[in-house]
Amino acid sequence: MRPLFFRDLSIPIGMGALAATTLASAIGVASLAQAGPKDVNVYSGRHYNTDKQLYAEFTRRTGIRVNLLEGKDDELIQRLRSEGSKSKADLLVLVDAARVYRAQELGLFQTIRSAELNKDVPANLRDPAGRWFALTRRARPVMVNPALVNPKLIRTYADLSRSELKGKLCLRNRASVYNQSLTADELVRRGKPATQQWIKGMVANVKEPLFTSDTPMLRAVGLGQCGAAIANQYYLARMLRGDNGADRAAAAKVKVVWPNPTHINITAGGVTNSARNPEGARKLLEFLASPSSGEGYASANDEYPLKGWGNNPTLKAFGTFKASSVSMEQLGRRNREAVELMAQAGWK
Amino acid sequence: MQTAATSPAAASAPPPRASRWILVGGVVLVSLLALAPLLSLLGGALFGEGPGGLALGVDGVEQMRGTLLLVAGEGFLGAILGTAIGWLTAVCRFPGRRWLRIAQLVPMAFPAYLLAASLIDWASYRGLRIHGLGWAVLLLTLANYSYVFLLSTESFSVSGRRLLEASRSLGVGPWSSFFRVALPIALPSIGAGVALSAMEVVNELGAVRLLGVPSLSAGILDRWQVDGNPQGAALLSLAALAIVALLITGERLLRQRSRRWNLEGRDAAEHVWQLRGWRALLAQLVTALPPLCALAIPVLWVQQGWQALAAESIGELTQLASRSLGLALLATGLTGMGALLLAICRRWSPQPLVQQLSFLAGLGYAIPGSVLALGLIVLGGPLGISPVLLLLWGYGDRFMAVSKQGLDAGLERIPPSIDETAASLGCNWQGVLRRIHLPLLRGPLLVGSLLVFVDVVKELPITLALRPFDFDTLAVRVFQYASDERVGAAMAPALLIMALGLVAALALVPTLERRD
Repeated sequence: MRPLFFRDLSIPIGMGALAATTLASAIGVASLAQAGPKDVNVYSGRHYNTDKQLYAEFTRRTGIRVNLLEGKDDELIQRLRSEGSKSKADLLVLVDAARVYRAQELGLFQTIRSAELNKDVPANLRDPAGRWFALTRRARPVMVNPALVNPKLIRTYADLSRSELKGKLCLRNRASVYNQSLTADELVRRGKPATQQWIKGMVANVKEPLFTSDTPMLRAVGLGQCGAAIANQYYLARMLRGDNGADRAAAAKVKVVWPNPTHINITAGGVTNSARNPEGARKLLEFLASPSSGEGYASANDEYPLKGWGNNPTLKAFGTFKASSVSMEQLGRRNREAVELMAQAGWK
Repeated sequence: MQTAATSPAAASAPPPRASRWILVGGVVLVSLLALAPLLSLLGGALFGEGPGGLALGVDGVEQMRGTLLLVAGEGFLGAILGTAIGWLTAVCRFPGRRWLRIAQLVPMAFPAYLLAASLIDWASYRGLRIHGLGWAVLLLTLANYSYVFLLSTESFSVSGRRLLEASRSLGVGPWSSFFRVALPIALPSIGAGVALSAMEVVNELGAVRLLGVPSLSAGILDRWQVDGNPQGAALLSLAALAIVALLITGERLLRQRSRRWNLEGRDAAEHVWQLRGWRALLAQLVTALPPLCALAIPVLWVQQGWQALAAESIGELTQLASRSLGLALLATGLTGMGALLLAICRRWSPQPLVQQLSFLAGLGYAIPGSVLALGLIVLGGPLGISPVLLLLWGYGDRFMAVSKQGLDAGLERIPPSIDETAASLGCNWQGVLRRIHLPLLRGPLLVGSLLVFVDVVKELPITLALRPFDFDTLAVRVFQYASDERVGAAMAPALLIMALGLVAALALVPTLERRD
């Protein structure tokens, strides 16, 4: 019970606080340089180091500096919404059509007119009113282990409800936004009753428990625990090109089967309503959507460029597909209905 | 031994009127800071616009059930494990005891979401499925039982030694001594530890999502962000809050039933029971298993995919780590000061307002971090507060309870008679604080600070939502990689988080050692 104890403690605490303050302010000052008038602030749902190289290239060409804040798509939408007109973000980049549509409905984007964007981005991959534009394409084919399931069985997504697949089909859960968009695609093309039948059939075939992510599910296909699964192409491409031998071996046993038509989804960007530098944001959007940089933006994550198949050898080996004609805007519009239908039909 | 069931504010060395108002003002300020984001959110949710629907719905009921099962499972397992290990390492003697006591600090450094992500990743290479409630309870227990261990072992070490010796000399066996003497004295600390770990569980997002367990925290976020239904989210938040309020109230009741002031010299370092033969072996097994499991998961994971470590840039990692470290140190200091103010005021001020405010200020721990962050954005946006300050505000709000719980339990062990004696000897309240309370609160203060530090280094949702442009931390980087399913790439920052946590945990070793 000597006060000495506390003195003992107060010295390190004081020194620690001092050190912390110094350190934090040093870090703070170094990385909190005020955004200049020529900067573009980007909120992005993507997290690839190669993106930063592209932004640096943009700065080299235009003199416009890019400040980046990466996060979860849904959270960035909420953040932008809460910040309102005070937001510092000029450009919002999101993954998945449903989220892009949500941001559009919340009035977070402004309309921009750009002949370049209209030329580089196909009509079904952008907002008809010019509020957002796709930057990359991703596909969600069926991944099959030929030792367990004959790939010829699967010509469309509807074939996944065939009884031959009983106990062999692996799926991600309903929370997966990619599955929600796939269901919306089916809804638009085939109507509600057929989509409901399809889900019920798949649920009857599914091997429980459902997966919470694509990569472990693809490993299960490669290891022969699942005969078929629905996954985005880049997860498999990443395993094949990765530095992990076990992953490469598992991925090599998986065959990509392209349903006719194949569901595709996008990464897209739009200039925010609160943008202080809408001009710079538009330029950055045009730069990212242009064929040359767009190729880089897509290959960062083994995705497809806006037009054609790109030059990624891994993707080329997967072969080509006939993309669904459903527009991204429709996928977004029907998302809520799709999720309700999934819940009703028993997709956990 | 005295027992009483009155409020701890029974000290009769109250500060003079003027200082008392300053103290109460401080409490009101700290509590308001803590409650502001929540109030702004609740207001917005209940009176704002949006698709209404104040109903739990099928999903809501499932999420409620999932969270309750998780809390019950983890609370039960964590209480047993933490108390057993706390007891064994504090008053029994067996080979390797000292090292095993230090080893209990290892699991603290590993956030549950990392344990889950790395275990799922590792197992999926072998065709094993790690999924569902059972695994979630196990992993959450592993990540959080240290709360119970730290607070209970501290209590077993400093309280009741003499009582234990007395009961032993009267021929009471070790089991009876534990249940009839030591456990009642340690109950407030155990309760505080269980309440803290249960709050962590209510708030856990990453791990339960990965393991496919429906939970309130995920439900709140989804309703808010995906369905655009802030009212529904507020309702679920209230449900989460209710669970936490119940936990805290239950813990309070336990304390009141077993209030025993107890202070003895720490020189009574006699170990009461020597364990030999199979008993010693069993003690070793029980105390070694959790740290070994916690260590094994990342080790196996690294062994599976060490190739990913080669691709990291050292410069960037250093930058990320220094940001995490600076933020954690600052937040620890701020939170510690706020919590000390609240705890001291609770002791001195019998006003119910102060009691209730300080209770409410600890509730931030129960709100999902992302929801808290949104509240701060709503508040801070119009006020033009800098993002780093908002971030620190968020940390302080979230972790106030961590600091406060241990301090409250520590103050409860100090008999009011000591304050009275000091006052009668002419010691003013500052003197009592400086010369009596603070030295006695050294342990809880240090343990609390350490827990806050480790928590901030691990913290994800608030950091992710409030950080300024180009200001990533280790946890943010781990999340970015993991959410893209590039778990291998997350390895280097993840290992650094664990290393920082370990270093911080090791700072506790002298405290544990001194008692030996």
